[in-house]
Amino acid sequence: MATVPVTCVRLTTSMQMVGKTSSLKLVPMGRIKSGFPCLRTSRFQISCSAKPETVNKVCDIVKTQLALSSDTVVAPDSKFATLGADSLDTVEIVMTLEEEFGISVEEENSQNITTVQEAADLIEKLVEKKNATA
Amino acid sequence: MAIRINTVSFQSELYRSFTIPQPKPIRSPKFAMASTIGSSTAKVESTKKPFTPPKEVHQQVLHSMPPQKIEIFKSMEGWAEDNILVHLKPVEKCWQAQDFLPDPASDGFMEQVEELRARAKEIPDDYFVVLVGDMITEEALPTYQTMLNTLDGVRDETGASPTSWAIWTRAWTAEENRHGDLLHQYLYLSGRVDMRQIQKTIQYLIGSGMDPRTENSPYLGFIYTSFQERATFISHGNTARHAKEYGDLKLAQMCGIIAADEKRHETAYTKIVEKLFEIDPDGTVLAFADMMRKKISMPAHLMYDGRDDNLFDHFSAVAQRLGVYTAKDYADILEFLVGRWKVADLTGLSGEGRKAQDYVCGLAPRIRRLEERNSAKAKESVNVPFSWIFDRQVKL
Repeated sequence: MATVPVTCVRLTTSMQMVGKTSSLKLVPMGRIKSGFPCLRTSRFQISCSAKPETVNKVCDIVKTQLALSSDTVVAPDSKFATLGADSLDTVEIVMTLEEEFGISVEEENSQNITTVQEAADLIEKLVEKKNATA
Repeated sequence: MAIRINTVSFQSELYRSFTIPQPKPIRSPKFAMASTIGSSTAKVESTKKPFTPPKEVHQQVLHSMPPQKIEIFKSMEGWAEDNILVHLKPVEKCWQAQDFLPDPASDGFMEQVEELRARAKEIPDDYFVVLVGDMITEEALPTYQTMLNTLDGVRDETGASPTSWAIWTRAWTAEENRHGDLLHQYLYLSGRVDMRQIQKTIQYLIGSGMDPRTENSPYLGFIYTSFQERATFISHGNTARHAKEYGDLKLAQMCGIIAADEKRHETAYTKIVEKLFEIDPDGTVLAFADMMRKKISMPAHLMYDGRDDNLFDHFSAVAQRLGVYTAKDYADILEFLVGRWKVADLTGLSGEGRKAQDYVCGLAPRIRRLEERNSAKAKESVNVPFSWIFDRQVKL
């Protein structure tokens, strides 16, 4: 995993650029469950890349949940487990995300959220779905 | 008796604790995995042999207590004789299963059996599913005596060791043995359940064993048993209450007398841990936090009947729905123990000890909040067959 100390904001800017040029369409859920090697570089993670505000919000929620100091780096590809989250923390993070974004996360989906990026992507997908049916 | 808390994906590790926990809307694929412990590659599900009971999936850790602490337990033997063995009941004063069942030596035996069966007819299937699960758990007693004898410093070295600890373990086992006997005979006579399937499940379960992750440490071990005894006290108390509501006062008495035993055992185990908090507060609070982080796994979480790969999850879902043992109970037990052992008042702890103290003291509210959210979510009702009741279906 990348250990370059980058702040959330900077990384998302570069992701935005990549998002525009990449035409890769990955199925979020299938990607994780299949045996296909999951390349953890931000390039391959983009399909409908989450907005920077979403990623930032997730970072903040994670930081609060895990009581991380303000100088702790939380990058989009940061794994919750590496940041010190146990399973209860992860469930609580998902709960807070549900409340913040007004979405409902299915149990199968919540088990696939292991990084900030995955959370942000799922949130955007669910928000989009919610707005579409509204 | 084993019931797991069902809470979303928190349960995916739980559970494994009846816990704890674990409560959750049913799914726990990890239990169905036929992965072999210790092997570097987990077997793929498609090559799973038929009738393969679930196995523990975590790495099994041994002897995590530093050997010098064994001395503590040796030096406690006198104290244990005066303070713990007193919670055992002399055999002459103990109830026996026969006290609550039709008397085969009497002329009225057949009539008493008919009465028992008539009362049992009024009790619904979902109650029986839970009662059976509890009975199967009790019948897996060999596993629990084994587990107590894995603990360093307190194990029965010969099977007839004269130490207070060994005397306790054997006598505790002897008292518990009556629970499975009573429930087994009741269920046999009731005519409401498939005894062969139940007996098969028991055989599988004893064969599977369980690893409560107590790592040969009596600190972890007695914290675990404290939690479990209270959990069984609560759940047998609930099955007693329900039996009364269904009009079966005799069954209510049976469950109630079992619950009373569990309460006595809970008193003994919590006393041991209270003493440990006195002698070694830092070590004990760390142990408490460790067990809670790992979640209190339910003794029968590996249960299997040869048909249902998610048997334990299904059983505990019914127990949760009936209110026999729930996520809320898990949180209540935790809160009770935190109070009983005055964890919040501990002083002179190390940095790690203080973190453990904070974790343990703050955990119950977190679990409650989770459970509230979970139960607020509307869930589709699922009906599932249980081989224990001839594949009749019960709502989860």
